[in-house]
Amino acid sequence: MGITVIQIGGLYVLYIIGSLIQRLLHVPIPGSVIGMLLLFFLLMTGIVKEKWVARGANMLLSHLTLLFIPATVGVMDYVELFSGKGIWSVVVVVISTTIVMFFVGLIGQWAQTREQKRQMREVKGA
Amino acid sequence: MIGISLLVWTIFVYMAMRKLYARFYFPLLVPIATSTVVMIVTLSIFRVSYEQYMTGGKWLVHLLGPAVVALALPLYQHRHTLKQFLWPLLCSTFFGTMIGMGSGLLLARLFHLPEQVVRSIIPKSVTSPVAMDIAKLIDGIPTLAAVYVMIAGIFGAMFGPSLFRMFRITTALGIGSGLGAASHGIGTAKALEIGKKEAAISSVAMTLSAIFASLLCPLLLLL
Repeated sequence: MGITVIQIGGLYVLYIIGSLIQRLLHVPIPGSVIGMLLLFFLLMTGIVKEKWVARGANMLLSHLTLLFIPATVGVMDYVELFSGKGIWSVVVVVISTTIVMFFVGLIGQWAQTREQKRQMREVKGA
Repeated sequence: MIGISLLVWTIFVYMAMRKLYARFYFPLLVPIATSTVVMIVTLSIFRVSYEQYMTGGKWLVHLLGPAVVALALPLYQHRHTLKQFLWPLLCSTFFGTMIGMGSGLLLARLFHLPEQVVRSIIPKSVTSPVAMDIAKLIDGIPTLAAVYVMIAGIFGAMFGPSLFRMFRITTALGIGSGLGAASHGIGTAKALEIGKKEAAISSVAMTLSAIFASLLCPLLLLL
């Protein structure tokens, strides 16, 4: 448990560094995403070992849904969106989300099958 | 004091809703949706404002930053898959971001929504901190944008898997990129339930669409 907490602390430090970089460079990417790219870089170069962060990271990721709850509860201040004319904006969001999910999913699926076929051919050809 | 007890209650509700979902596995019962509803009902019954709730709830929000950083781990563990599919991922999320913002804009105009609402809907498919920044940039309302982001996230987590089943989208790349590009972090949390590989792809798709959206959005409104 202690190790997990320390590792989460380490991830928090990377998040702070990411936010600082974001503020200094004025990039439109959130600090957390910069922190993620930073940790990815540190793992790739071997400066940070996988086991130094694994327990903390897995702890946070397995309860990611919990961390989103306070943000989603914020919808309560906009109840008027779900009644009267506001509902149409929700309809728009739902339709548009479905379209994105469908197209991106389809392109992803198509790309993966194509790539796998190509690799199979290469194996046969070799 | 009220904040801390509501924080504990949030964790309890989340645990209970997870159990419920594991038992019935019905799309309408995804924990993010049921927990949100139970929390809103609780707050209404006890007449607690969102602001009061957040005195405790903010501790969970604080962990969201490091959790996004932690996504580097599945990214690292699946680096070979990602390298193999880098181009398809770049293309699908690029078009996904365009389709997401374009269809949001067109549909919102079609329904004659007020201009500020239209501009708050456009960034709905990207992770909330980025969506709020984009909304500010294009004269939308940041908090309203965050609400639409949450709706896109919850809806995707609820019905994404059924949509994939309906159209026989079964590969990790299809599922992962679809969830990440349409439903950002909440979609990625859902992808984690399906598999680590799906989650790694989903977090890449989410990151890429956040980057693409912040670059493309100002251009889109020039049209």
